[in-house]
Amino acid sequence: MTPNPKNEVSSSSWSLFLNLNKARLTQLNKNWMRFRAHPTGMIGLGLIFFFLLMLVIHPVLMNTIWRPSIYDPYIGFDQVLKMHPTLPSLKHPLGTDGMGHDILSQLMYGARMSFSVGITSAITAVLISTLVGGVAGFSGGIADVILMGISDVFILLPALIVLLLLGTLVRLSWWSISIIFGILMGLGSQSIVVKAQTLAMKSKVYIEAARIAGGSDFHIFFNHILPGLIPLAIVHAVMTVVGAVLTESLLSFFSRTHDYMTWGSMIWVGHRTFRWFNYGGQWSSLIPPAMSIMLFCSAFYLVGRSSDKIFNPRLREKEIVN
Amino acid sequence: MTKYIIKRLFRGLITLITFQSILFGLIQILPYDFTAFLVLSPLEQRLAQSTLGLDHPGWQQYLIWLNNFFHLDLGKSFLAWPTPVHEIIFATAPRTLLLFLSAAILAYFLGISLGKIIAWNRGGWLEFSLTLGGVASYTSFAPFLGFVILNVFGRYLHWFPYRRLVDHTIWFDAPVSVSWVLSWVVITALFSVIIMWGIFLITRGFGNTLIKWGSRLAGLSLIGSGIWIWWNKIGHGKLALDILYHLALPLSTVVLMSFGETMLLMRTTMLETLTEEYVLMAKAKGLPPRVIRDKHVARNAFLPVLTRLLLNLPFVLTGSLAIEIIFNWRAMGTVVFQAIEYQDIPLIMGILSLVGALTLLGHIFLDILYLFLDPRLRYAERK
Repeated sequence: MTPNPKNEVSSSSWSLFLNLNKARLTQLNKNWMRFRAHPTGMIGLGLIFFFLLMLVIHPVLMNTIWRPSIYDPYIGFDQVLKMHPTLPSLKHPLGTDGMGHDILSQLMYGARMSFSVGITSAITAVLISTLVGGVAGFSGGIADVILMGISDVFILLPALIVLLLLGTLVRLSWWSISIIFGILMGLGSQSIVVKAQTLAMKSKVYIEAARIAGGSDFHIFFNHILPGLIPLAIVHAVMTVVGAVLTESLLSFFSRTHDYMTWGSMIWVGHRTFRWFNYGGQWSSLIPPAMSIMLFCSAFYLVGRSSDKIFNPRLREKEIVN
Repeated sequence: MTKYIIKRLFRGLITLITFQSILFGLIQILPYDFTAFLVLSPLEQRLAQSTLGLDHPGWQQYLIWLNNFFHLDLGKSFLAWPTPVHEIIFATAPRTLLLFLSAAILAYFLGISLGKIIAWNRGGWLEFSLTLGGVASYTSFAPFLGFVILNVFGRYLHWFPYRRLVDHTIWFDAPVSVSWVLSWVVITALFSVIIMWGIFLITRGFGNTLIKWGSRLAGLSLIGSGIWIWWNKIGHGKLALDILYHLALPLSTVVLMSFGETMLLMRTTMLETLTEEYVLMAKAKGLPPRVIRDKHVARNAFLPVLTRLLLNLPFVLTGSLAIEIIFNWRAMGTVVFQAIEYQDIPLIMGILSLVGALTLLGHIFLDILYLFLDPRLRYAERK
């Protein structure tokens, strides 16, 4: 029996798909091996997992061993203790703040907010910068002039001041802050970098080969240009997280947002009622949120730097004259 | 070349106007204006609006403002009514410059020298700890860092004063105003920095290390004593020292916050340069490692860092709001913050346009500089 030619074609394309996937997986594995060689990157990854763990454990604890009337981050209050704030104890592992809330519970709840802000703004920024920069670099001409004109304007807008201005207009919540921040970052400096990268890729030989093989502009942009922009997008995403979380914390520190439970507002509460010696000192209510902001941002920054080292061929470890 | 520069300037002008219209539009969307913050009857409110020029529709207000802007008139502030905006800017600029410009310059010097060292000693504990320290300082939360430094060195150890610009016991019957002394401190600092730079440039050629550093030290002490004598001769040396003493805490906070970024950038560019072949060539020639590091690698790695410095410098004007509020250092950031709170349109627009225009000038300057420096770009432009 002769094999069905149609069937054979489909099987060969299947095997091609499998092989391609295998190649992609090998590349991923290779990148992961390279990433593992950077101790700072691994520290960052570990910290991110630690904060993820905090985020996951909080609802579990609230539903099992923590009584909501005492440990709820918004309305919890421990009536057994005479004075708030208190120092760390067995019942409250990080103490309570001046308003009687448990700090560990607040900290875990705040991790949720930081992750949401960071991830939303990173996705917004990367989508915008990749599309704008990619289109401007790839198509050139009038689109390039208009899009780069826009990013020339957006690079001049300082994010904090724009957010403060908008804060008088609308009630800022975590998602509006992160989307506005993402737009400012994505349309500003990031799209200019992406455009430069696209221009460099456009002159590569494999793009010409794809053109000779009859690929349309659309096909070339989505199948050959965009995958090449992914490494840059990862680095930009991670760096946007740092900026977004710091900006959001500053805004909630100045109480310009409508979210009452973030790390920034915890610092604000602690610092408004701060006493140096009276009532046993209050560093226990200030240090945990501040350290969390720092460690969270450092974690993403370290991961970003390490991935930059992997993806940027000029930074790859070589034998260096020393 | 001239054609390119004219084209670039024209594009910059369009960018500036778009930037201003976006800002003005953002402010104009609000349903209320500055008069809403005053306790007025409706008639008085209308009178106030017509006095402030708020009775026109938004686009008309914008065109009037733009027309004044291009006649170099920034209007009058609403909050401090008859005071022109440029006077407010000139009055607060010395404070901003003294704190944030000197902090930026110090942080760049610190960052560049540390970055040079950690890029050279790769893989050691020094690099690891300095990298982690730099990342921590870069990502630390500004109000908290200021708060810690203020409490530890000010409130607990009593080494430095805090939460004040000057000491009122010293300034009790001073013959001059604080801003006068502040501006002269800024001018003196700029002057001494320029002279020091000159001394370093002149003594670079001296072969003998002892003579080189001896002459540098002698020059520095000569300038220092000269400045000291001059300040004492006008009789305000004590006042200037008091200002510098109060500057210590905020300055160190800003430097601590911002040196990490430069250090990490310098390290990255150094590592990129280290893979170039002329470094290998220098090594093969048998040059000492110190000379390779300072003359062959660092000087080439310095350019992107300098670019970053130039582009970030105008944003120094708006400063760091958190630092200003924590240390009670009333400078331009606080002014902008207050202006935003009260819808003081001319003040917001004036300060932000100034910053935007300076940034744009920096961009244009760098573009033209690169065109001069890079023959490839020149060729592409001619084509």
